[in-house]
Amino acid sequence: MSEIAAAGARPAWRTKLGAGAEAATSAPDLRRRMQLGLAGIWLLVGLLQYQSFMFSKAFSQMLAGTASGSPGVVASPITWDATLVEHHAVLLNTIFATIQLLLGIGIAWRRTVRLALAASVAWALGVWWFGEGLGMVLTSSASPVNGAPGAVIIYALLAVLLWPADRAGRPAPFTAARAVGAPVARALWLVLWLSLAYFALLPANRAPQALNGMIAGMESGEPGWLAALDRGAASLVAHQGLAASIVLAVALVIIAIGVFLPPQAAKATLVLAIVVAAVIWVVGEAFGTILAGGATDPNSGPLLILLALTYWPLRAAVTAPARTGASAALAGTDEGTAAS
Amino acid sequence: MIPAWILDIFAAVMLVVAAVSAVRLVAARPWRQGARRAALADIDVAHLLMAIAMAGMLAASLRTLPNGAWSVIFAVLTAWFAYRVVRDAQVSGVRALAGGHCAPHLIHAGAMVYMFVAFTAPATHGSGGMSGMAGGMSGMGTLELPSLAFVFALVLIGYSIWDLDQLSGPGASGHYSLAVARVAPSGAVLVGVGAPGGGGPGAPGVSALASDYGGSAVSTDPAVTSQAPPAGAPGTMSRGVLAPWVATSCRIAMGVTMAFMLLIMV
Repeated sequence: MSEIAAAGARPAWRTKLGAGAEAATSAPDLRRRMQLGLAGIWLLVGLLQYQSFMFSKAFSQMLAGTASGSPGVVASPITWDATLVEHHAVLLNTIFATIQLLLGIGIAWRRTVRLALAASVAWALGVWWFGEGLGMVLTSSASPVNGAPGAVIIYALLAVLLWPADRAGRPAPFTAARAVGAPVARALWLVLWLSLAYFALLPANRAPQALNGMIAGMESGEPGWLAALDRGAASLVAHQGLAASIVLAVALVIIAIGVFLPPQAAKATLVLAIVVAAVIWVVGEAFGTILAGGATDPNSGPLLILLALTYWPLRAAVTAPARTGASAALAGTDEGTAAS
Repeated sequence: MIPAWILDIFAAVMLVVAAVSAVRLVAARPWRQGARRAALADIDVAHLLMAIAMAGMLAASLRTLPNGAWSVIFAVLTAWFAYRVVRDAQVSGVRALAGGHCAPHLIHAGAMVYMFVAFTAPATHGSGGMSGMAGGMSGMGTLELPSLAFVFALVLIGYSIWDLDQLSGPGASGHYSLAVARVAPSGAVLVGVGAPGGGGPGAPGVSALASDYGGSAVSTDPAVTSQAPPAGAPGTMSRGVLAPWVATSCRIAMGVTMAFMLLIMV
């Protein structure tokens, strides 16, 4: 039976309704899939920002709290911002939520992906300062287990690494290298993970009960199973702060240098990165405390996992494709967007 | 406390979705095709019912049926879409369990059942069930099993993002795209742009499209395409509200709104 004849057997009204037709796909490539992951996280963040907690004074107090311990030059604008939000909570929070919602939609919509990614970098940098106090990295209490160096800076990093362009010249060995090149991508990875290792070894984090207290503090308001998990994890590291910090720091250093290793070894370290990020997300961050209500974002865990995936060695290194008319005009994403 | 006007905006979006779905059903007249085929208008019926229910959950003045009635309705829809997903999986393989065109609707229906069953009214509203929610959401009830709400929200966001990508994609002709897709007199859908990966008829991509059409065919053959009637002629799919992208847009709006409702009630 020919394909055309087979088609004729379908009820006409169903063709009208398009039943079944919606599922047709134009399969996105790997980088596009990662952009969609980033878009999904932005959409989640935008929706979380609409929670009732964010329209209350508690939100401005939370913002003001991020100034604590930071130098004056960093803290003063945060305090000013928190005061402004306190006085115009409904208006400003609605704007914040809508911007983040639009960032997610914009990245997912192919024609606006560049605009949305660029805007997300600017927005993320603003939130990193005014909303997260630079991820507390200038204080003595930053820890990889509680989200340092600030989840939102990883959004910006991902937007840069997933920018829809390809560098001409040598083929990209992994997705993150396509836009900025392998040396720059590796350097960014190294800086991020070495900084996490450094934070893990700060005196405040290697104190005997530091990690225990951090994890145990996450169980409040969480569902029973997650609270039990946190209690169990906290008891494992009770009075083991120094040893736990050293183990974590060693793992983070191995992850940091992993992208410089041959592909098979690099894959092993990336798996380690994903596992560490998942453990941090579940145990240390309690899914960003979303299940307890009042979370502004899912914290750094899923972003670190997405970041690790962008460094996964590609089977065949990607070279800058030639620009092809239809796809380049429509997509503005991967196909045919080689940088000249 | 969430300002009521924000909830009203989401409720208004749901009313638009309900109206569009109703118009699609009226325009397509599936009931003229007999009971068995009429049952396949499931997606628009589901959109219509979910949009009405969600509008009532978001704004008290838009409340229609009792919570128990909605629970039963969405339980039936969930069972129906579960059946459709299993059938899709039997025809198209295991991937249809997540990627088939009925899978998102199964999640939507399941999320609706969950919201109606798991809702707990705030103490000040007594034990009025969802009426506490309709009283309205800015009075904020919560959902039991918040982990499940989070999982539902993540999946709904995932499907919405995927739909947005496909709707704006270069290979979306005839399905997601805003562009015109032509329908041959025999009923075959003819795609003027090559399938992703350049597959011709018989290529994997085309086979997948054909199966999603319930056995119909998609052709990239220029010779066949040239026989198609011009856009706008009788038999085209680009008939305003009946175009497939309209249904997909409704699904996106519903998915985002549903995720919003789940997250604010965690």
